[in-house]
Amino acid sequence: MSGLSTKRLMKELADIKSKGTPEGIILLSADSMDEWVFLISVLGDETIYKGETFALRMKFGNRYPIDVPEVTFLANGQYQPPMHPHVYSNGHICASILGNEWSPVLNAVAICITMQSMLASNKKKERPEGNDRYVRSAPSNPKLTRWHYDDDVSTGTKSSCHPPMTRI
Amino acid sequence: MDMSSHPLLSSIDEAPPFPPNHPQLRRLDRSVVCQICKEPFQAPVSIGCGHSFCSSCIRSSLDVLKKCPSCNEPASEGQIRRNRALEEITDSWEESRPIIYDLAKPPPQPQITKKRPAQELNPKAASSSGTKRLKPNSSRETSGSRSQSPTKSRRSNDSDHDEVQNGEVEDEEDDVQELTENDEAPCPICQSTLPISSIPLHIEKGCPPPKSKLNGNGNRKGNQKADWKKVFSGQSIGAKNKDKEVEMKRITKPNYALATPADLRSILSDYSLPTTGDKVTLISRVQEWIILFNSNLDTSHPSSLSALRAKLSDMENSKKRDKERGKDEMINQLGSKDGLQKYAKDKRSEFERLRKEIIERDRKRKEQEEGKGGGKDNAIEVE
Repeated sequence: MSGLSTKRLMKELADIKSKGTPEGIILLSADSMDEWVFLISVLGDETIYKGETFALRMKFGNRYPIDVPEVTFLANGQYQPPMHPHVYSNGHICASILGNEWSPVLNAVAICITMQSMLASNKKKERPEGNDRYVRSAPSNPKLTRWHYDDDVSTGTKSSCHPPMTRI
Repeated sequence: MDMSSHPLLSSIDEAPPFPPNHPQLRRLDRSVVCQICKEPFQAPVSIGCGHSFCSSCIRSSLDVLKKCPSCNEPASEGQIRRNRALEEITDSWEESRPIIYDLAKPPPQPQITKKRPAQELNPKAASSSGTKRLKPNSSRETSGSRSQSPTKSRRSNDSDHDEVQNGEVEDEEDDVQELTENDEAPCPICQSTLPISSIPLHIEKGCPPPKSKLNGNGNRKGNQKADWKKVFSGQSIGAKNKDKEVEMKRITKPNYALATPADLRSILSDYSLPTTGDKVTLISRVQEWIILFNSNLDTSHPSSLSALRAKLSDMENSKKRDKERGKDEMINQLGSKDGLQKYAKDKRSEFERLRKEIIERDRKRKEQEEGKGGGKDNAIEVE
């Protein structure tokens, strides 16, 4: 990790330490400056994800925060990615904030909040169109996928998500 | 996760934040921080929308995305302008932060005992107001203006009243006598700093603002003289200055898609940088260097070129280490059984291709040997 990214992540960690994370977001592990895992749950009674907890993994490259971290929901024995029209069953997420709308002024907690609000605004549990096809051929790093975003300015996520074209 | 004893945080050396009962100071503290690196501005610049960042941060960011990171407005490198005021503010805030931090601390219980050591540490603050005012100016005073200076008379009054400070005043007087006409002093009317010899004329003219601080008086004359000398001796000023300016002029970005490795190497060698590696390595080296170099021109306390070179090689080394670490991870993965299976699954098509290649090669060899009449005895059975 280069100086800039390590320093920046240290600051974020110190910030989380002193101010804590927003409600419904817990830092599960940050053993190194490469990979952090957050637990995300949606608050309130309105949500269709009541009582569910999801694990969001972020991998930071050495050009963070200039480059967006690699963000996926964990899909393993313990955690499953949420049923959501922008979340593929392998944990890949179609959200513009993780692609062309990433900005270096954002941080790890901001990503968590966006994901939380993306889940909170969803009304229907379903997988994206073309989920199976995508998951079969998807690269392990979602940043290598060319996502197609439809605009939904309010949440920074997309109202509908096209099956992406994958690049190998 | 328990954040109180995080191993990664033990090494952080961060100035403690202001206590929550001073929200204004917290705000001030935040306002001199670059929103990209979250550090106090270094070589701050502004872009078209008015947002400011460290020069190197916004340059790196605009390399990736031509938008303001804060407001998403389209932005380009051409809009980058040095923000001198912000640099001055950041520097002076960094300088005064520890003092203000101490002042903002809740007063300790035994007030007097706590205050004393602070005073001893800072004798300037402890001395009487008269001396305090004088001190910054004393070195600039001259024999010429001394007798008329209003501050001088006040000081002598002070020293008459306050005998304890006599010794100090004597010392100052010694300093004062060493000054000559070429030294600078504040104008008694407008307080702008000027060479002593020019103060009377300056007052006569009604205190116009001093021309340029950078081209200081004595130097300017010297330069002019040298410049003229060059003109007369046939040297052009441009040619002479070029040597220096090639070094300190902003580097224009090459078109990386079109540039040949040789082009990139020539840029690197212009700045005495290593020219080894393939095109990808060269491009990233040139890119990093341009960011380092150009942002170094946006500050009033730039680093030396050799310091920049050291920074660049540090960055490259840490990137290399990251890559090596990736290799170690791969070895670890192959060490475990699950990892090995996963690897086998991932690389199956490649295995398949290699297997076919080997079969093909063996078949050809067999045919050749048969042609030689080697017989079927030593033919290799391949499944």
